Amino acid sequence: MAKFVFIVPPLTGHINPTLSMGAVLIQRGHQVGWITLDPDLAFKLPEGGELLLIKYNESDQQKQDSEQYLDIITKKIVYGIDSIKFLYEEVLIPLNRHSYDGIVDWLEKYKPDLVITDHQMFAGAIAAVNQKIPYATSVTAPAAIKIMDELPKVHEWEVNQIVALQKELGMDKLTSIACSGLLTMVLTSKEFFGELELPACYHFVGPVINRKPVNAYFDWDLLNKINRPKILVSIGTTFDHEHKKNFFAKVIEAFGDEELTVVVVSEPSLFEMWPENFIVQRMVPQLELLPHLDAVVCHGGHNTVCETLMNGLPMVVIPIAYDQSHVAGRVVRVGAGLRLNFNRFKARHLQEAVYEILQKEDFKTSALEIKRSFIAAGGTEAAATLLEKFSVNEPLFLLNS
Amino acid sequence: MDTIATTQKLNNDEIFDLMKQFITEVIGEEFVEEMDITPKSSFTKDLEMDSIEIVSFSEKIKTHFGEQIDFTGWLSAMDLDQLINLNLEMIINYIQECQSSK
Repeated sequence: MAKFVFIVPPLTGHINPTLSMGAVLIQRGHQVGWITLDPDLAFKLPEGGELLLIKYNESDQQKQDSEQYLDIITKKIVYGIDSIKFLYEEVLIPLNRHSYDGIVDWLEKYKPDLVITDHQMFAGAIAAVNQKIPYATSVTAPAAIKIMDELPKVHEWEVNQIVALQKELGMDKLTSIACSGLLTMVLTSKEFFGELELPACYHFVGPVINRKPVNAYFDWDLLNKINRPKILVSIGTTFDHEHKKNFFAKVIEAFGDEELTVVVVSEPSLFEMWPENFIVQRMVPQLELLPHLDAVVCHGGHNTVCETLMNGLPMVVIPIAYDQSHVAGRVVRVGAGLRLNFNRFKARHLQEAVYEILQKEDFKTSALEIKRSFIAAGGTEAAATLLEKFSVNEPLFLLNS
Repeated sequence: MDTIATTQKLNNDEIFDLMKQFITEVIGEEFVEEMDITPKSSFTKDLEMDSIEIVSFSEKIKTHFGEQIDFTGWLSAMDLDQLINLNLEMIINYIQECQSSK
């Protein structure tokens, strides 16, 4: 029996896969903890999982102040390459700096055999190396490790931000240690990720999505009442009100009173009236819902895209910021869907795109091919087996390599 | 269209029109009609193009000018701030420089 600890950022898409992996490790008799800043994670942990909450002294004003990045990420409107700068300077670097001491404290107390840190929680990797504990990395947003040949300085700039933080936290190394040289699990398949030369320590385990069902009410009778194509429209949890209002106004114009049933993930109060063929809920049981649908419209968050492909469904991707442009690019490249520009698209384009993916069988065929590659990659069980393998007797020289 | 080997030198206006044509090809004519594209227009803030669109735009420049200019080399040397501020004028100036050094 081994002791594992996951280090997660307060971002749903990055947390969910660790919950599935952790659940399997617990089932196999291991001890598993989660180091986090988010007390609400307690409600999501699998049975037997331990919450290792980072808490600082309340009199420490500096630490209190730096927690504001949690709000910033949902409020600021960022786009394109600019959003990468924002993500690092105003969210990831402050978040990691803020978390570091708390992570070190927990590693000293909990003494795990293997640390599994998110690729954006590089403070976890730094803490593990400084504490001489082996660590693996879980890459939940695989586009982040992809380098654009034409714009190499973008990646280089990202690495420089991480290296500067490493230095600040006492590590003199000129390369980023965010991705472990021992084991880096990329949560997609090679087929979906695309060609890229990667070191042998990178393992494509496929998406890890067999998580606990969400306890959200859903009117299944209403969904199935009329026999017509059904679509889901969701732009995730990260974006703010103004973004959403503009976006869903176009969704209403595109699909109001069409021969479709449209499930929308949004605050129903965003508009006073929604069209009659819409089902609008703040939360939906997405995993249970997907098998009933014909297509998905989303912003290109990696989890929703993978869940959609796992159901062999075609999609229209409308990337907003960060790595979503890449994810959308991959969906188009593998032939599983179409992409629209978030700022520019009009209702008409969305309508045309959705009808096109519904009508042309090719999109679905390509989505099914990716589904097969996901299943072949092994998913949660394969990830858990890799973690077990690296939790025992790994010589220290592999560390930090 | 893309494979024309331009041997004669283009003036600033001609390069600007060519850039506009490429932008149109990348983002679509109807969107360009609504935009006020000027040499000062930046790709990220004014034209709201994301990284993938900027890369497809650069492909078109590469195909058009071929060996004449090392556009990929020029673009790949840009750091993040330069990319965020990249506007049409910078590209026009760069192409002019390449032309006059021949």
